[in-house]
Amino acid sequence: MTSKRRPLPAAEPGTAGLVPVVQVRAVKVAFGGLLALRGIDLDVEQGERLAILGPNGAGKTTLFNVIAGDITPTSGTVAVKGVDCTRLPSRRRPRLGVARTYQKARTFEGLSVTDNVYLALAGHYRRQRVPWRSAVDRRLRDEAGRVVASVWLGDHRDTPAGALAHGQKRQLELGMAIATDPDVLMLDEPASGLSRGEREHLVELLDALAESVTVLLIEHDMDVAFRVARRVVVMADGEIVAAGAPEQVRADPKVHEIYLGSEGRS
Amino acid sequence: MRSGSPVYRRGAALALLVVVLIALPSVVPAFFINFVMTQTLMLGLAAATIVFLAKYGGMVSLAQFLLFGVAGFMYGNAALEAGSRGLNLGWHPWAAVAFALAVTTAAAFLLGALASRTTGLYYLMLTLVYAVIGYFVFAQITEISGPSGITSIKRPELLAAPVSLYYTALGLSVLAYLGFRALGRTAFGLALQGMRDDPVRMASLGFNVPLHRTLAFTLGGFVAGLGGLVNVWWNGQIDPASIGIGPTLILLIIAVIGGVSYFEGAWLGAFVYVAMSTYLRDLPLIDRIGITEARFNTVIGAIVLLIMVLSPQGLAGIADRLRRRPTRPRRPAAGSADETEAAIRRAQLIDE
Repeated sequence: MTSKRRPLPAAEPGTAGLVPVVQVRAVKVAFGGLLALRGIDLDVEQGERLAILGPNGAGKTTLFNVIAGDITPTSGTVAVKGVDCTRLPSRRRPRLGVARTYQKARTFEGLSVTDNVYLALAGHYRRQRVPWRSAVDRRLRDEAGRVVASVWLGDHRDTPAGALAHGQKRQLELGMAIATDPDVLMLDEPASGLSRGEREHLVELLDALAESVTVLLIEHDMDVAFRVARRVVVMADGEIVAAGAPEQVRADPKVHEIYLGSEGRS
Repeated sequence: MRSGSPVYRRGAALALLVVVLIALPSVVPAFFINFVMTQTLMLGLAAATIVFLAKYGGMVSLAQFLLFGVAGFMYGNAALEAGSRGLNLGWHPWAAVAFALAVTTAAAFLLGALASRTTGLYYLMLTLVYAVIGYFVFAQITEISGPSGITSIKRPELLAAPVSLYYTALGLSVLAYLGFRALGRTAFGLALQGMRDDPVRMASLGFNVPLHRTLAFTLGGFVAGLGGLVNVWWNGQIDPASIGIGPTLILLIIAVIGGVSYFEGAWLGAFVYVAMSTYLRDLPLIDRIGITEARFNTVIGAIVLLIMVLSPQGLAGIADRLRRRPTRPRRPAAGSADETEAAIRRAQLIDE
């Protein structure tokens, strides 16, 4: 009832003639004098699993913020499902089927785990300002309960999010992002700070997503990134320096140079 | 789960309190009802709007007493037929009520919209500015008030008996208390709490944060306006000094004494304040130890300080802690079962 609100085209990922789900064109972002993004072009097909790699300060999160609408680019355009949304505020993006998580888990500390997920659903189903509780809310709440269980937080439904452990907050964030059946799921370092067991959970969860869901992933953990992603984009200094299949990128001498030269994590 | 029983207990306690308050006028002297209790309820109603905005929205507003006053001034302007000040529109009292609430709500919407992009200290400062501007608007525009205010304001005939004002304030207070609490569990109320915790995240979930804050402030203004109407009926007059910085801060102090994170605290704080300001001077020998009328604020200040030191959550926080105490022994019992289970699980893991 609550899921499957719009039928997804049955097309294969990357079918010719289909508009890319995410289309980034010549995007530049300047923070004062600092150019965080120096002209990014990126097409993401429907159902693609794309990992964005790169050392700290490469502009990965900035690119995410541009696609999710938290930052308006200085120049260039962003389109989601063929709709130009360069200047659309972030609150309108969920309607395009975009959901995201943040690098530092952003949950509502004072609210229960279920309420956190419920808010994600309420935002999606346009119940933002409804000042009463109805049967619809009960259904959304049930749905929230199911999502909470699916991210292994079933024992913590009524726990305030602020009382969760770090890894559990990440699980909750993921739950909030997948609750609405997004078409484009953007995960900013979902595995950071997770234990090995929790990472397995995460990969399992991502594998369980429907084929049609497009996943954009920023990840420092190569293991997670390469297991989830079918295509990898490497960024450095606000530019895309390499792109291709995981094996291809792994073998790219340029990528080696970046990682060895940056003293970064590999 | 077991959470059902505290909810019922709370509901039963509230019902009992309301019954006691309804029966109160036939038990205690009229002065206590018409002076202490009526004032407690209307100030509590206004303070509850501070609690509403602070607790759910993280917005500490100093403009609630201004909106309380706007309703009073507008009622006075509309209801009075003749007088030295004001518009003297001579409307039917209930039309004046509707007018006063409409203007107050509209003013709250505008002021709330202006402040909706600020938070924290800036919100506090901006609403303080509103309070100051409001004072000068009514003090300087003689068409709607002027420095000496509007006098001999009559209340609707329905409320002619003094005790009816008490019941009006009681009814509105109960409605506001229940309404605010219920709102906290709706999509609107939960979203407001989400915005208190992380507005950026709320926006990315599809919520219009400034509009949401504006609507919350508008609701707070409307409820403060209801309190303001009772106030102007009770006082029979209103002047700019009564909504100046002093009273504005007193309302904040009431909310703080009571405990800003508890709705009960608004009325509790109001009762303590009104009771002190009424009875302090009657205490035997009080003037012998140097506490005279002029030093009333010093006493209030000392009491606020004392409460803050004893309980940063105010009087309701103390009450809450006392109430939780008897249930405490039961909790470890329930928790220990889980703990044992967890310990067993850990032991099994180690064995493996």
